[in-house]
Amino acid sequence: MNPADVPLQAPQGASIATNPAADVTTGDVERVERALIDASTRLPVLFFYGSAIAWLLLGTLLAGFTSFKLHAPDLLSNVSFLTWGRVRPAHMNVMVYGWASMAGIGTAIWLMARLCRTTLRHPLLLICGGAFWNLGVLLGLGGILSGGSTGYEWLEFPPYAAIVLFIAYSMVVSWAMLMFRFRRGDNIYITQWYLLGAFLWFPWVYGASQVMLFVVPVQGVMQGAVTWWFANNLLFLWFGAIGLGTAYYMIPKVIGRPVYSYHLAAIGFWTYALFASWTGMQRLVDGPFPAWMVTASIAASILTIIPVATVGLNHHMTMRGYFGLLRYSPTLRFTVFGAFAYTVFSLVGVLLSLRSVAGYVHFTEASVAYTHLGLYAFFTMVMFGSMYYIVPRLVGREWRYASLIKLHFWSSTYGVGLMVLMLLAGSLSQGSSMNDPSLAFSESTQAILPYLRGRSVSGMLLTVAHVVFAFHFGLMLFGLGRTASVPTFLNPQEEDALEGPL
Amino acid sequence: MKGILPLFLGIFGTFAFSWAGLVLIPNAQIGHLDPQMDEDGNDPYPAPKSGMADRGRKIYAANGCVYCHSQQVRADYAASDLERKWGDRRSAPRDYLFERPALLGKMRMGPDLANVGKRAPADDQNAPPPSATNATSPAAPSTSPAAPAAPGTSPGTSPAAPAASPAASATTSPAVAAAPAISPAASPTKKETAATAPASPAPATSPAAPAPSPASPPANAATTADATVSPNGAPLPYSAAWHHRHLYNPRSVTLDSNMPAYHFLYEKKLISGQRSADALTLAEGDALPAGWEIVPTYDAKCLVAYLMSLDQSHALKEVKSTAPSSPPAPAKEVK
Amino acid sequence: MNENSPAPEHRVRQGMDYGETEDVQQVHAAIKREKVEPRMGLEPLSLWLIGIYGLAIFFGGAYLGRYSGNFGGDGLDPLGGASVAKKTGPQGPGGPSAELSQADRGKKIFSANCATCHQMSGLGVAGQYPPLAGSEYVNGGTRRLGMIVLKGLQGPLVVKGATYGTAVMQPWDKTLSDAKIADVLTFIRQEWGNTGGPVAPEGIAALRKELASHPDSFTESDLKAVPEDANLQGGNAPPTTKPSEALNPPPAATPAPKT
Repeated sequence: MNPADVPLQAPQGASIATNPAADVTTGDVERVERALIDASTRLPVLFFYGSAIAWLLLGTLLAGFTSFKLHAPDLLSNVSFLTWGRVRPAHMNVMVYGWASMAGIGTAIWLMARLCRTTLRHPLLLICGGAFWNLGVLLGLGGILSGGSTGYEWLEFPPYAAIVLFIAYSMVVSWAMLMFRFRRGDNIYITQWYLLGAFLWFPWVYGASQVMLFVVPVQGVMQGAVTWWFANNLLFLWFGAIGLGTAYYMIPKVIGRPVYSYHLAAIGFWTYALFASWTGMQRLVDGPFPAWMVTASIAASILTIIPVATVGLNHHMTMRGYFGLLRYSPTLRFTVFGAFAYTVFSLVGVLLSLRSVAGYVHFTEASVAYTHLGLYAFFTMVMFGSMYYIVPRLVGREWRYASLIKLHFWSSTYGVGLMVLMLLAGSLSQGSSMNDPSLAFSESTQAILPYLRGRSVSGMLLTVAHVVFAFHFGLMLFGLGRTASVPTFLNPQEEDALEGPL
Repeated sequence: MKGILPLFLGIFGTFAFSWAGLVLIPNAQIGHLDPQMDEDGNDPYPAPKSGMADRGRKIYAANGCVYCHSQQVRADYAASDLERKWGDRRSAPRDYLFERPALLGKMRMGPDLANVGKRAPADDQNAPPPSATNATSPAAPSTSPAAPAAPGTSPGTSPAAPAASPAASATTSPAVAAAPAISPAASPTKKETAATAPASPAPATSPAAPAPSPASPPANAATTADATVSPNGAPLPYSAAWHHRHLYNPRSVTLDSNMPAYHFLYEKKLISGQRSADALTLAEGDALPAGWEIVPTYDAKCLVAYLMSLDQSHALKEVKSTAPSSPPAPAKEVK
Repeated sequence: MNENSPAPEHRVRQGMDYGETEDVQQVHAAIKREKVEPRMGLEPLSLWLIGIYGLAIFFGGAYLGRYSGNFGGDGLDPLGGASVAKKTGPQGPGGPSAELSQADRGKKIFSANCATCHQMSGLGVAGQYPPLAGSEYVNGGTRRLGMIVLKGLQGPLVVKGATYGTAVMQPWDKTLSDAKIADVLTFIRQEWGNTGGPVAPEGIAALRKELASHPDSFTESDLKAVPEDANLQGGNAPPTTKPSEALNPPPAATPAPKT
């Protein structure tokens, strides 16, 4: 485990290490090291990113169907594989497993390599894992659209696709673990806690759920319990952990300042692992389950206020005095937005889970709003931020157009904000009509229709954001980024004191 | 954080805690239930679903019905599910013993379906719908009561004169009634006016006019010119025929329905000789060219069989019921 | 080596070909300007954060305690806990079991356990299972009944002049609780025109204790040894007695004679 035993891979050009240039400072060595690490992660990370963005576009298309069909039910309803009930899970699974997971893995690989200060060995095998992952998502998508959905939410992929995903995942995780094994330096940074946790939690929660649903199926309602235990843990302990870990890296990295407090970070991490993993059953509130299960999850939701406040405070104090940088750095802007959205997401989650509130919003679109807050406003935005940071380092070019980044940011922000507002407001109106037995049931679905149309508008904004981002990413991928030594700022720098915050 | 071991142990420990707490312990508590027998030794509940209904559940899952329809009735203190007559009692774990997948659902863009089979007309459980009997007797339509249809709707809007439709004029008896008219009358949850037919999508070829018979039996809107095919009566709500019509075109049954149509579960066939026994009684908005009919595929039949099998009305000892008439709660308990 | 700038011709290289040459640094301009890897500060917790922790733990714990449903597997109601009686209590009539009389509960037990042999009609099966309707054993003292149900019966038995007994009655002492046996006996003594009084659970309990060491299965002669009108304790309470009242049987109850 001695890091000195594991030298960095010698550069292929061999010109830097052996360069007779006189003053080789430690800073220079670190830079070379980073350059080597970036070079070694380039292909796999770009592969994961590229696939993720392709899935993002496809998922956005499916999302459009899902959203429009809700208020125009006859749209394309004659085609079996485009019926709403298939498009919706297809959209969700493509976003969850295609976009979010692949983007998360890509970022995690890069972060892991950087933080472990070790080059990625055998990147091609990681690409293999990515290819398998793509295959799994593709199979699953085909399965859902052709009528093979399992009927378990978030786990609609037919078992054969799940197996492929699992194989792909084990390839990926073993590489992450290998990197961790060969890390240099003693300190394990906060981001590494989260990533390590995510990498270990995912196979557990995914494997356990698959086994308990398909191999040794549990009885009756326990399937529902397993499903929602899975879904919330995937949300919190897989996406949430990667997202928080990324934010813990990007924020201090971009502003060049230590994270405010180790203690806060440790408390935040452990309480997060302890309490967030207990949520999930609140989605079954008042259902055919022992009340204590649901209540335990609600109590755990209340207790997640602890990690949320801790992490939020930590980020806030780290950022304090540097909020001006949000004007310039795309990474920081996306990441800070995501970190803030995490707080909102959690607090909304606490609110929605309370029995008194759930009496109104249970069985409404509120849960969709909640999921989008978590998966989009928080996780996806953090991932966008990390991509804006990482991709230039992988392709050696800067983002071409600041205007496109701005367009991306604002359409994403307004899009997801509008969507969440529409769905939350709509769910209140839907829920209150649904709970009034003097109104016909159809009144409740009619009540939310205007909000669903509004949601479709927000979806168009998000579509713009994604297309713009994909286009921009494509430019970078094909080497059409700017060759400059300064990063692409969102706005022209007004002062020199900023020292290139990207 | 320096120690790698505490990190690993913590990561495993926290998650093992959650797994045990939310999955393993509940599984020990409610994961090994048996059907309830002690009410009546001969009356186990629940029973596994049989062939078609079992397959129907897969169709239900595959087509994502679960994203709009829950199958769980909440207790009276939590919501108004019981007042909406979605069930006589809240759902209990035992109701789902044999469900795989257990399609509890988390969204209600459509009504709860936990007891939709119970809502079927009493004689319709797995039996041919009332309309099917009408189909066999050409003379029936003019006399068939079409029970729920007429009284609740104004005759001026929904029934249309048959003579206006050239194809229908070949048949002598039918009055063409708009299908939406039939749903609200017998559906207790719907406001009568909300779902009824003022905006009934009557084809332009059939101007609205009071039907000659007061009962105004909805006719087969396929308006086949073949005089041997008699129009069917309107299916009673929640009967199998009603489900088929609803799946085929939800808005022909409930005007403001949000549900997509499932045309792909139905086949459009050229009538060869006799009209198929299971052909749909279409609303007039879905009029087909002469000589064609819509028949459900096997999947559609399974799906409807599944829907008809959804019934949690059987009393369970662990939950109280609001229905005094359910079997194990005999009437004399009140004395 | 910052000053080790690459030759200008490297600049024209485009596409995916970065970093494999000596200008790895040049291409990675982003790295050069990069800030240090993140470090961790060591600021202490602030007091008000600890206050938030306390509040969250307090409310979380209180919520868990209040809505736990007694942590039971059948505690579907977050407030009511496991027992159905609690849930039905304020709701008045309509509950399937809590509001039932002893005989009604007995009917369910009967239909689940006894009706296969003795039939719901109480007429039994000729030659095999004796009838309960009009049976002298059922209408007589409760002690014999308790013995039969607790320990079972074997061999021929004459009821209403006909002989039965090609089949065995199984002992129920391990299957049914005292209350259930009392319920079902009360039921059969009041159904089908039978006129017996109710049976109290504690009478069964006493008999169970008394017969604890008795081997299974009585015979007809064992029964004949018991006086026909021998009753268990608490047996003569009015027929409408609810179980709660039956817990305190009126003093008029005939004490069971000792054998």
